[in-house]
Amino acid sequence: MERTLWQEFTKGMGSEIPIFRVVLGLCPTLAVTTSLVNGLGMGFAATFVLVCSNIIVSMIRNIVPSKIRIPIYIVVIATFVSITEMVMAAYTPDLYKALGIFVPLIVVNCIILGRAEAFAGKNGVIRSTLDGVGMGIGFTIVLCVVATIREMLGDGKLWGYPIMGQAYDPMLLMILPAGGFFVLGLLMGALKMKDLRAEAKKRESIIAR
Amino acid sequence: MGYIIKLAFILGAFCVVAAFALGGVYESTKGKIAFEKEKVMQEALKGVLPEAKNIVKTTAPDGKVYYRGFATDDTQVPPVGYAIVAAGKGYSSTVQTLVGLTPGGVIKGMNVLYQLETPGLGTKAVEIKYGEKDPWFQRQFMSLAGDTVAVEKDGGKIQSITGATITSRAIASSIKQEVTWMRNQGIFSSAKK
Repeated sequence: MERTLWQEFTKGMGSEIPIFRVVLGLCPTLAVTTSLVNGLGMGFAATFVLVCSNIIVSMIRNIVPSKIRIPIYIVVIATFVSITEMVMAAYTPDLYKALGIFVPLIVVNCIILGRAEAFAGKNGVIRSTLDGVGMGIGFTIVLCVVATIREMLGDGKLWGYPIMGQAYDPMLLMILPAGGFFVLGLLMGALKMKDLRAEAKKRESIIAR
Repeated sequence: MGYIIKLAFILGAFCVVAAFALGGVYESTKGKIAFEKEKVMQEALKGVLPEAKNIVKTTAPDGKVYYRGFATDDTQVPPVGYAIVAAGKGYSSTVQTLVGLTPGGVIKGMNVLYQLETPGLGTKAVEIKYGEKDPWFQRQFMSLAGDTVAVEKDGGKIQSITGATITSRAIASSIKQEVTWMRNQGIFSSAKK
């Protein structure tokens, strides 16, 4: 069944949301989600690279021999990451300083190579662009949710401002790497539980009929 | 054989295109990046040497760089202060700190230029508490002779950040090292304080 363009766009935020459903790109998720600012910055940078690489990969998909497609995808992705890094250093030095080493690490973000291989290499430019934008927004949403929880619990702040009050003693664990695993694990578990409940309900209604 | 050469040629062609794209972006952002870096440095220097109107970058005979601050454009008189960049290996990054010193080598201003320490632990080195103006950790360094600073564990007066001894030590010991070097170069006026 062919998806509509709208479904192509929204699947990255729902049924195929990165991290939660398509468990790819965990490394940057765990690493940068210590504060909301970092999460949002990383989300935007990764979205930019994802959209650009999807467009280029879908444009060249017919001239790339399948045997060397992966190295070519990597060249395309690495080029865009380096461009992003230089542009950020020049025009948004504060954000660049905050994200630091995680910008070059976008190269090894599996979501980007995953979309190039699984989608953009087989679909046209318009669909690939929508897929990239949708997936990028989905990834950004996940980063922001995890980052909000970790920054609030671990630092007592949100967006750098103290919100939990003077009496709150921050749970340091939450902004250490282990806290990332906890938050991510619990969120994925909660989502899975919701799915299972919905499935069970569906089955019951079929039996009842 | 011919097929492999064809593949290599295609891959090479993509790399050439990518290289040209990168070269173009590098050339067009190079100036702006250098400008931003210089701006950050100039602002930091003004912050740690507030009374200096004219800050001169100086290279020592052994190639090390430090800064001399003068109250006027005249650079022949003794400077009103010095500044130097101290870099120490922290927990997850090299912490670079700019320190401003009196002519006698006493710390009167500092600014962490670069750090990528653990958020919530090492980054407390630059944390400004709610309602305050300067980072509480760095305030401890003020009015100490730069070549004597050390964390309490090393017998000094600087209280380490809880859970971030490595970061605290990196900052304190790198400052101590650089200022000791300046002292040994005979840069400071003789009086210790």
